[in-house]
Amino acid sequence: MKIKETINTFIAENTSFIFSVPAVLWQLLFLYVPLFLVLYTSFKRAADSNWLDLTFDHYRTVLGSSYFFIIGRSVCIAAGVAFLCLLCAYPVAYFLALKVNRRWKNVLLFLLTLPFWTNFLIQIYSWVFVLDQNGLINMMLLKLDIIKEPLHMINNTAAIFFVMLYYYLPFMIMPLYSILEKIQYELLEASMDLGATHWQTFKRITLTLSMAGIKTGVFLVFVPAFGEFAIPAIIGGGHHLFVGSLISHYFLIARDDQLGAAFTMISGLVLLICALFFNWFCTVPLQKTQKESA
Amino acid sequence: MTKSYGTYFLPIAVTLFYLFLYIPIFVLVLFSFNDNAFTCAWTFFTTHWYEDLFASSEVWYALKNSLVIACTTVFLSLTIGSTLVFFGSRDVVRRLQILFYGSLAMPEIVLAVGLLSLFSFFAVPLGSMTLIVGHTLLGLGYVIPIVYSRFIELDQSLIEASYDLGATQRQTFFSIVLPLLMPALLSSGLLVFIISLDDFIISFFCAGASVQTLPLYIFAVIRTGASPMINALSTIMLMFSSFFVLLFSFLHIRRTGIPQ
Repeated sequence: MKIKETINTFIAENTSFIFSVPAVLWQLLFLYVPLFLVLYTSFKRAADSNWLDLTFDHYRTVLGSSYFFIIGRSVCIAAGVAFLCLLCAYPVAYFLALKVNRRWKNVLLFLLTLPFWTNFLIQIYSWVFVLDQNGLINMMLLKLDIIKEPLHMINNTAAIFFVMLYYYLPFMIMPLYSILEKIQYELLEASMDLGATHWQTFKRITLTLSMAGIKTGVFLVFVPAFGEFAIPAIIGGGHHLFVGSLISHYFLIARDDQLGAAFTMISGLVLLICALFFNWFCTVPLQKTQKESA
Repeated sequence: MTKSYGTYFLPIAVTLFYLFLYIPIFVLVLFSFNDNAFTCAWTFFTTHWYEDLFASSEVWYALKNSLVIACTTVFLSLTIGSTLVFFGSRDVVRRLQILFYGSLAMPEIVLAVGLLSLFSFFAVPLGSMTLIVGHTLLGLGYVIPIVYSRFIELDQSLIEASYDLGATQRQTFFSIVLPLLMPALLSSGLLVFIISLDDFIISFFCAGASVQTLPLYIFAVIRTGASPMINALSTIMLMFSSFFVLLFSFLHIRRTGIPQ
């Protein structure tokens, strides 16, 4: 009985601590500890070597090889996808947030989220049916006599890019929509009343106010696109190496954890630099326009 | 009145976008009724992929695994997340919140590699448990920000009133805070459910050979040459989920009178 009482008082006195521990511990143990473990592995000479036998060799190997070029390619593709997503998503989000009545808005939002309910691998694979040599597009074009030979539209970087654009578009629309929805329509009307053109209103008011949404959207697309693994594997036929495919190759096929860890760390660093650069890029022009208008 | 380009440009752009969005869905459903398994050419209308699907034990086994993992993940991340938000002291939660964005700021493949290293370092056998651990990590990254932002919007005087009237912390949690947080819990729970059910990368790294989830099964089938059975399965899943989403929003409108 005594023990039970002690436990009860202990729980009563430390409720806040006890209930905070699981979540924080979970995050620390399964996110931050593993990251340190990967960092440590990247310096370890070999899997079975002494635990203090550390070396920079793996970093040298990765930086010296052409694999470094793969990181560059992944950055370019992820940035391109994010930029094109932004261009395509903005009009849609703008329309949904400001131009359409409530009933249609609900229907369109429902249609936007529905594809999330299909498995994303199947969505991607469906594009094979469309783009393949015997696929839908080639079949139609051949029937219409526009082309004589079927086009090769799959197993290349352009196809990977295209399908990534398709897959990540909703991720861009959502944050843009939720920030554009908060813009008061009166602000736009006031700007027009004061003699601004459509373009000026868009640039000065809408775009400036939606900057936070643009940032979130670009990060939501750029980060996963950089580490993309499934789309190149399915659409590219596994021949086109990206950061994600190479990491999984090191860890799951080549079983070279040390080299894989070094490569993961370097990619992470590149990603971090890109994120910081983008953050700077978004803030500087904004401050400039604010200064100009002040 | 001058008419802006927007009046014509926007509706056309949006229509094109939705067409683009639904091309694969359309193709998916269409080919689930196609008689020809190996090329993409259309031959005959058939329902035998649906018959195959119901006869296949592998698909149902994978689906069962996925559902069990997804439900456990939702339960775990909601309990751990909401108790932290309510019971944790205000200051601590506000400061620690940044900790939970980590899993969103990194590509999933980095999380997967980290988890794999951790499990192999401590020689933990890979299986359903390791998958639940990984998915809950992803889930917490969504649950805590969503539930926390809803919690700080709550009228704090309600909670104070509950204490003043003599309720314990536990009573306050279960009868005041939990019902008020219900919309946030439901929406974040649903999100985590979809994420877990659809997750491929963490599952690919942390499942090992012993457990098969639906995305892993689908990936294996695609790699070896897909069978339209998969199309049939996703057509059925799509029908179910759109039915539930519609039902959900219908009930919401019935209860509150406002569309979401």
